[in-house]
Amino acid sequence: MTNVLFIASVRPQLGVFADSVRKFRAAGATTYLAGTFPLDPVAEELAAMELDGTHQLPRNLNFRSTALRRKARMAPGGMKVWMQAERDSVLRRLARKADVLVALDAGAVYTVWRLAQYYRVEEAHFGLAPALKAVDRVKAKGPTGSRGVLPPLDVVKQNVRRSVDGLPATVMRHATARPVMRSTVGARMWRTAVTAPGVPPKVRIATSRYVAEGMQWAGRTSGAALALAAAASKLTDLGLKAQLLDEAVMKELGKGLNPRDLDKAVAAQLAHADAQFAAGDHEKASFALDRALFLGFHRVLHIDQLSSPLAKDAEGFVAPLYRSKVMDVMKRPQGRKTPAAPAPTDRPLRLLVTTSANDNFLHHILDRYGNHQGVELRYLDLAAQKALKRIAWAGRRVLEDRLAGGTSTYQEEVERLMRPYLDWADTVFLDWSVGPAAMLTTIDPGDTRIVVRLHSYEAFTRWPHMTDFSRIDDLIYVAPHVKDLVESLVPMLRGDSAPRAHLVDNAMDLSGFARPKSADARFNLGLVGISQVAKDPMWAVDVLRRLREKDDRYRLLLVGGDMNPKTSRATRDYRRQFDKEIAPLIEEGVVLKLGPTDDVPSALADIGVILSSSVREGCHVGLMEGAASAAVPVARDWPFYAGKPNSARTLYPEGWVVGSTEEAAKRILETTATEEAWQNAGKLASEYALSTWDWPIVSKAFDKLFLGEG
Amino acid sequence: MSASPRSGLPATGKRPHVIYLAIGFPPAAKSCAYRMRETANQFINQGWDVTVVTIAQESWERDSGVDLTLLEQVDPKIRIVELPLVREDLETDIRLYSEDRALNPNGWVTRLRRRQMEPFPEPNFGEWREDLEKAVLRIHGEHPADLLLASCVPYVNLAAAWKLWEEAKVPYAVDFRDGWSIDVIDGVEAFSRDSAEGVWEQKILDNALSLWVVNDPIAEHYRTRYPDFADRVHVVRNGYDADSSPGKAHRANPEAGLAFGYLGTVNFTVPHLETVLNAWRAAREKEPLLANATFEVRGHIGNGSGREANRHAEVLKQAEVDGVRFGGPAAKAEVASIYARWDAMVLILIGGRYVTSGKVYEYMATGLPIVSAHVVEHDASNVLRGHPLWTGAVGIDEEGLTESFVKAAHMAVETSDEVHAEAMAHADQFTREALMTAAVKQLIDDHTALGARRSDTADTALAGNQIVAGGPSL
Repeated sequence: MTNVLFIASVRPQLGVFADSVRKFRAAGATTYLAGTFPLDPVAEELAAMELDGTHQLPRNLNFRSTALRRKARMAPGGMKVWMQAERDSVLRRLARKADVLVALDAGAVYTVWRLAQYYRVEEAHFGLAPALKAVDRVKAKGPTGSRGVLPPLDVVKQNVRRSVDGLPATVMRHATARPVMRSTVGARMWRTAVTAPGVPPKVRIATSRYVAEGMQWAGRTSGAALALAAAASKLTDLGLKAQLLDEAVMKELGKGLNPRDLDKAVAAQLAHADAQFAAGDHEKASFALDRALFLGFHRVLHIDQLSSPLAKDAEGFVAPLYRSKVMDVMKRPQGRKTPAAPAPTDRPLRLLVTTSANDNFLHHILDRYGNHQGVELRYLDLAAQKALKRIAWAGRRVLEDRLAGGTSTYQEEVERLMRPYLDWADTVFLDWSVGPAAMLTTIDPGDTRIVVRLHSYEAFTRWPHMTDFSRIDDLIYVAPHVKDLVESLVPMLRGDSAPRAHLVDNAMDLSGFARPKSADARFNLGLVGISQVAKDPMWAVDVLRRLREKDDRYRLLLVGGDMNPKTSRATRDYRRQFDKEIAPLIEEGVVLKLGPTDDVPSALADIGVILSSSVREGCHVGLMEGAASAAVPVARDWPFYAGKPNSARTLYPEGWVVGSTEEAAKRILETTATEEAWQNAGKLASEYALSTWDWPIVSKAFDKLFLGEG
Repeated sequence: MSASPRSGLPATGKRPHVIYLAIGFPPAAKSCAYRMRETANQFINQGWDVTVVTIAQESWERDSGVDLTLLEQVDPKIRIVELPLVREDLETDIRLYSEDRALNPNGWVTRLRRRQMEPFPEPNFGEWREDLEKAVLRIHGEHPADLLLASCVPYVNLAAAWKLWEEAKVPYAVDFRDGWSIDVIDGVEAFSRDSAEGVWEQKILDNALSLWVVNDPIAEHYRTRYPDFADRVHVVRNGYDADSSPGKAHRANPEAGLAFGYLGTVNFTVPHLETVLNAWRAAREKEPLLANATFEVRGHIGNGSGREANRHAEVLKQAEVDGVRFGGPAAKAEVASIYARWDAMVLILIGGRYVTSGKVYEYMATGLPIVSAHVVEHDASNVLRGHPLWTGAVGIDEEGLTESFVKAAHMAVETSDEVHAEAMAHADQFTREALMTAAVKQLIDDHTALGARRSDTADTALAGNQIVAGGPSL
C-alpha cells in the first residue's frame, strides 16, 4: 500500500480534488489530507471523498510565543504555514509513514519540503498530476524497507543553523516584547536607544525596525512611527532616511491615522529624488518622487476622511512639493509640435472616447455619438487590454520618462500602443484625469485634439501632478468649485500652456425621473449613494433626529451599497460607527436601507426630500436626479468648499443649500408643512433640474465642444 | 565546437539536409506538433534529409504531456535529436527545490523568468540559448546542413538559427506561426523595435530566407512592419489532418441525447468558460432538443502543479449537473472517433482578428454544426464564413451563445446529408498535407534560387577578389 499525504494551506478545488482522490485510491494508495485551512466547513465534502484520514492542522499561531508570532508576521507565506504545522504530532506521524507527499498549493510547498527532507521521503510533489505519477513509480519500485528513524545529519545541521541565525532576531523580539513596549518607560527607553549617538546606520535601522515592530505589536502604532522617524533623524544618507520615514508614515496610514511626520517623509523623499536627479539617476529619482506623491496624496488623508489638508489650504499643501527640483521638471510644459487640427468638414469627425474601466458617466455620450451622422465613434477601454492597462497606470514610469527628458522605454511603449489610436482619431475624449491622462500626455499627440474631463475625485490624487496639461487642448470640469481647487493645486493649469477650461455638467437623462410620488413620500428623506466616507450619511441621520423631535412621521431611506470596510481602515471605522448609530433606528423602522438598485427612478418615487449630506462633491448626481423627480432638494454646504468663491451655494439655486443640520431641518419642516407646499417646492425643483441638467440641454454643450455646433 | 568550413550551398549529388528546430515535435501533445510533423514529412518527400531538434520526452511530461500515437505518422527517415532541456518553472519535484523556492514558489518563478531573459529576451526559455546553439553547430559538424528552419515558439530557437548563420552561413527560414512582435490575443504590437526582442526580430528577418505565419492579418502585420521583407512573408495556414475527420455524413440521435464537444487545449479564461457554460445551461433549459444533451470537453488543462487541477477543471466539474463532462486529453489516434460520436462542435477561442487556431479547420472538416464562442472579429470567422452549418459569431455573450446552442441543436437534427457533405467540402481546401506540401516546396524553391544567386555572386566575387556575404539580401 502506498501512503499519500496531501497538505494544503487553503481550501483545495473540491471537485477536482475529489476526482483525484478517486484516482489515487484506484491506484491502490491510502490518502490523508492535512490542512491549515478550516476543514470543518467542508467536512461533508471531504467525507464523501472517502479519504483514509483528514487532519486539522493549527489554523493560526494564537497560542504560540509572541516572538514567534512577530516573526510570522514578517515571514513569507510558506514559512507561516510551516510554523503552524511543524510541531503537530499527527502530521509528523503521517509524514513519517508517507511514501508520497503532495503540496496542494504554493503555501504548502515549504512544509512538504521540510518534511520530505526530515523524513527522507523520496516522492514530494507540487500538484496532483505529478503526485499520481509518483504513486505509479513507488508501486513499480516495490517495498524498499524502512527509511530509518533518524533524519539525515545534514538536515539536522541545517535546522540548528537556522535556529542560530534566528537568534539575534529572537533576542531583539524578546527585548522589545509587548509588556516592555506597552509601558511608557519601556517605549521611551527604546525610542531613546534608537537615537543614541555613534550607532552605525545599519544597526540603527535594524534596531528601530524591531522597536517599531514591538511597538505595533503592543498597539502603539504612532509610537512605532515615532521610533522610526526618530532613528531617521539621525541618518545622513538621504535614501535611508527617506526609506525609514516612509516606513514610519506607512505604519500610521495603514491604520487609517493622519501621520505625524507626513511632511518630513514627503520632504525626505523629495530631497532624495532631487539628489538622485542631480546625479543623473533618473530611475532612482523617479522611485523617490513617486513615493513622495503617493504619500502626499494617500487616500487616507484625502478620500477616506471627512476632511483633507486640501480643504484648508490647497496651495500651501502642494507648495513644498513644487519647491523640489524634480517637480520643477514635471511642471515644465513640453507642449505639442503642431496645434490640434480643426474638425474635418468633408467627413464625419473621428471621435475616440476612452477611459480605464470607469464608464459610469459615458453611456449617454456613447449613445449620442454612436448614432450621430457627423461622428465616427470608437470606444477604447484601456483596462480591457493587458498591454494598455499596464501603461495606463504606470505612474512611476511616467515620472522617470519626464525626468529623463522623454528618453525612457516607457515613452516608446506608449508611442507604440497609443499612436495608432491617435493617428486614427481627430479628437480623443478621455474621461477621468487620472493615470491614463498622465500616460497619454507622455507623447506628443500630433494634430489630434485631446479633450479630458476631470470630475472631482482626481483633485485628491497624485495624477494631475504627473500630467502634462500642455498636451491637452480642452479640460472639462463638472463644476466651478472643482476647477478652482484643481487650478490652485496644479501650477501648470495657471500658466500660458494651460488647456482651455470648460464647465459642462455630467450627462444625465433626467426625463425618466419625473414620476408620481407615493402617498407617504412627503415625510421620507432620501439619500442616494452612501458608499464613501465623503458622503457622510451621519449628517443625514442628524437631520432626521432633529425632524423627529418635531414630527415622528419623518423617515430616512438610504439607497445604494454600503461602504466597503476593506477599502481602508478609516472607511471601516466610519462604517462601524454609522452602523452602530443607525441600528436602533433601523429596528424602529425609521431608517430604511434599500441597498443597491439599478432602478433609481422607482426608488425616488417614495422619496419626498432628497438630501446631499456630503463633505465634498463635484456635482451630486443623486441630488440632481432627486430634484428632477420632484423631491425637495436639501444640500449641505459641502464643507470642503463652503465659504469659497464657488461652492454648493453657487452650483445650486438659492434656498437648496443649508449651512447646518438645524437649517436643513428647518427647511424640510417648512417645505413639507403641507401637501401643497411640498408639491410646489418639488415641482419647482423638478422644473429647474430638467431645464438645466437634462441630457437634451447638456448634450448641446458636448456638440459645441466636439463639433463646434450650437 | 568548430563549425563546418562548408558554405550553405547544397552538396552536389547528396541529399540536401535541413535542421528543423521544432520544439513541440511529436510526441509532445501540443497543437503545433501536427504542423511540425507534416513539415518534416514534406521535406523527406521532397528528397531532403531532416534532423529535428526538440527537447526530451520527459520534459513534456511536466508541460502539456506526451501522445505517443503522434509518432506513428512521423517518417522514420527523420532523425530526431532530443536535447535534455526542461522548463525549470514547471518543476514539480519539491525535493529539487532550493529553500528559497520552497518558501515562495511563485516569487521564485518570477525571479527565474527575469533571469532567463538575460541570455535571450524570452521568459521560460531564454536560458536554452547556449544549448540550442551548441546543438545546431554539432549537428552541422556531423552532417552539414543546407538549410535551417526554426519554428517558434520558443523564440530562443532564433538565437540558434542566427548562430549557424553567423558561423557557417547556413541559410535559415522562420515559421513564426502566430508571430512575435504582434500580440495576437489583444491585437496590439507586443514590443517596440528598440526593445531587445525588437532588435532580435529585425536582425533575424533581415537575413531570413522566408517567414511563415498562420494567417493574413499576421502576415499583414509583418509586411507593414518590415516593408523590405514583405515578399518573403508567406501565409501557411494550419489546416487539418485528413485522418482526424470522421469522413462521413452524420446522423444525430436526439432521443439518446445530442452530444456537443470541444476538443483542444483549455487555454481560454475562466470567465470565458463560465459564459459558455452558462449559455449551455440556459440553452438546455430553453430547448427541448437539448434537455438530455451532453457537452464533452477534451484536451489539456493547466501545466506544472496546476495540471488538470486548476480553476478551469473545477468549473467544468461543477457543470457536470448540466451534462458537461471533462474527459481529459485525447490521443491523436482517437480524434476521428471522438468527432464521429459528437453531433455539434463548440469552438471556444481566445484572441481576435490575429488568431485563427488550428482547431477551426479540423472542426470544419467534421461537417458538424459549429457553435462559435469567440469575439466576432476573429480570424476564425473569416475561415468559417460560407460554412453552411455555422451558427455565426455572436461574441462571448451569454444570450447570444444560448441562441447559438439552440440553433446548432436544430441544425444537428434537421440537416440533410447533402448539407453535411457540403459542410465537409468547405474544409477541403485546408487539408494540412496540401498546405504544407505547397509551403515546403515554395521554401525549397526559394532555397534553390538563393543557391543560384550565391553561385553567381561567388563567381563575381572571386573574379573581383571580394569577400562573399551570404543570405537572401544579396
